[in-house]
Amino acid sequence: MKSLTRGHLKAGFDSVRRAKMRNFWTMLGIIIGVASVITIVSIGEGVKVQIAQQVSKSGKNLITIRPGTVNINDGQNQNFNVLAGLSITGSLRPQDADIVTKSKLVTASAPLAAISTKVVSEPAGQFRNGVVIGTTPDFPTLVNQSLAYGVFLAPDDMGMNVAVIGEDAADKMFDVDVPLGHAFTIGGEEFIVRGILEDFNNTPLSDRANYNSAIFIPYDVAQKLTKDNAVVYEILAKTANENDIQPAIADIEKNLQASHGGQEDFSVLEPNEAVAVKNNVLTLMTGLISGVAAISLLVGGIGIMNVMLVSVTERMHEIGIRKAIGATNRQILSQFMIESSLLSLTGGIIGVVIAFALDGLLRFFTNLRPVITWEVVLIAFGVSLIVGIIFGSIPALKAAQKDPIEALRSQ
Amino acid sequence: MALIELNEVSKVYGFGDASTLALDEATLTIEKGEFVAIMGPSGSGKSTLMNVIGLLDRPSHGVFMLDGKSVSKLKPNQAAKARRDTIGFIFQSFNLLPRLSVLENVALPLAYRGLSLSRRTKQASNMLERVGIQDREYFLPNQLSGGQLQCAAIARALVNNPKLIIADEPTGNLDSAASRLVMELLSEIHKTGNTVLFVTHNPELTRYATRVVYMHDGSIIHDEPTALGQVAATARKVLYTLSTTSEDDDLAGVSALMMALPTKPAERKPRKVTKGKPAKSTIRRTSKSDKASK
Repeated sequence: MKSLTRGHLKAGFDSVRRAKMRNFWTMLGIIIGVASVITIVSIGEGVKVQIAQQVSKSGKNLITIRPGTVNINDGQNQNFNVLAGLSITGSLRPQDADIVTKSKLVTASAPLAAISTKVVSEPAGQFRNGVVIGTTPDFPTLVNQSLAYGVFLAPDDMGMNVAVIGEDAADKMFDVDVPLGHAFTIGGEEFIVRGILEDFNNTPLSDRANYNSAIFIPYDVAQKLTKDNAVVYEILAKTANENDIQPAIADIEKNLQASHGGQEDFSVLEPNEAVAVKNNVLTLMTGLISGVAAISLLVGGIGIMNVMLVSVTERMHEIGIRKAIGATNRQILSQFMIESSLLSLTGGIIGVVIAFALDGLLRFFTNLRPVITWEVVLIAFGVSLIVGIIFGSIPALKAAQKDPIEALRSQ
Repeated sequence: MALIELNEVSKVYGFGDASTLALDEATLTIEKGEFVAIMGPSGSGKSTLMNVIGLLDRPSHGVFMLDGKSVSKLKPNQAAKARRDTIGFIFQSFNLLPRLSVLENVALPLAYRGLSLSRRTKQASNMLERVGIQDREYFLPNQLSGGQLQCAAIARALVNNPKLIIADEPTGNLDSAASRLVMELLSEIHKTGNTVLFVTHNPELTRYATRVVYMHDGSIIHDEPTALGQVAATARKVLYTLSTTSEDDDLAGVSALMMALPTKPAERKPRKVTKGKPAKSTIRRTSKSDKASK
């Protein structure tokens, strides 16, 4: 019986090979379905991995303080407005940075204040894409970032017109490779480049500003430039180790609340919470899009069924001959089932190959780093095989139950 | 014990007014080792008889014993297995699978029996040697001549060592040289002890048979033993043994009988050889060829 199956497999391969074009179109639905399911799931996985890397890079003891309250899916509240910024109901004030710094167990902290002013440099002229951020010397320590050239803002630099710029900003603003000591203007005032940061590992869906094109200036200078109107959009704080996080958060919350007149119009997020926000959204999005992609698997299955029905009709005479020389209904059934399974499985394999190719392209052209896990490949494979079996069974049954004389008569 | 025992076997197609009696209470016993030729005009029920004996079709009424077992009520799968193990088919149009090599075609019945690839290849190869076309093993059917194709088909029919070989006009698509080749081969198979049943329109081919059965309108009207090498006594006289027209004519409803009628009215004798005919049923009275003969 085993060798007969091998014969059927060979016959199946033959017939798949014979009608290449037709079978390609048949498999297209499966190919698209498998490729898109794998790609979407792997993008989602990849983003999660990148976020996790970002968290582990900036350390598990980084506390983020944001204006407004962020709703996190706590199991009771299925809120979709989980992205920070969509639900801002309060603000952080300049003096909040000091409160955080003075809180218990906080070893380092830095406010981040974005200001909107004109940045002009020679020879590039106005630099429109950059964001000017006012911060304090602790910033690189907080996000574990080192400098490519020069030094970061030192405590002595507070109040002075110096700047540390990101890698992209350095490229775009100046025509020299290392523009240390070069001057440019922010809001009409002249600043000197003090240092150039190394490339920030930018992750997709990150809630951070693009630090690679940012210009960091001392916090008090930023406040002075905007006449104390710089918006603090984030305060970062760090503790000595992970165990100190919870007490530190409690103290920060208590101090800030006291300072905000008892209003809880800010959020103090521990590292995991910042990730949780994004993972929820990701899981939801990945699920939704995969569902849509899975429909194309279904459509692909129907395509296979149609082609197999045509194939059965075309080969009715062959079925008649096979039955006359002693093939049982079961043997005819398995012959056609194997053929349709081969079609869908071949489609599945091509789909996986395309998914890997897409993965490569995405890695090359975007900052996405999709992760294709063997589970998702296995599931996509399994689903395409099941689709072949389910949708192949109808034509195969039709072939198997054909009356031998009638089948022999048809040409 | 007879190999084939048909007892008042009938086959009705269709329902109600549209029903046709393709086989009308046919009673026939064929012993092991006989070489039987079946003759009759188109539409006389030869093919239906062959299909019933070959277990491709189930009789509507009557009892059919094959090799001592009643097979008139077999389920499709049981019939398939019985076909595989006891019957070898040879068709007019060869019916080899066009995409398989000659060797694979011959080995196919063995595959359905579950033999290993090496065993079935060996047996099929031996069988091709026996029919004399072993050098064409790896050819595809469309690379072979008609005679070679029929030899391959005979090899396929023989490969399972069947008790019964059924050939439906095995020489119908062949020229006389190839026909002789095929008939000699069948004759040889018969000499080794097989039972062979074949349909023909050519009276000359009754030389190979040991017995000739004549059919008309679904009934067996005459049955005579004949010596090997001699044309059966009645065969030449029978009007309806004129070779059939092409298949296209058959499809258009023009039977050889109807075409022959106006020019040779005097030869309508064979009816006389009818002996012990059962009473005609109502359905038969309204059948097409009956009207034509009136």
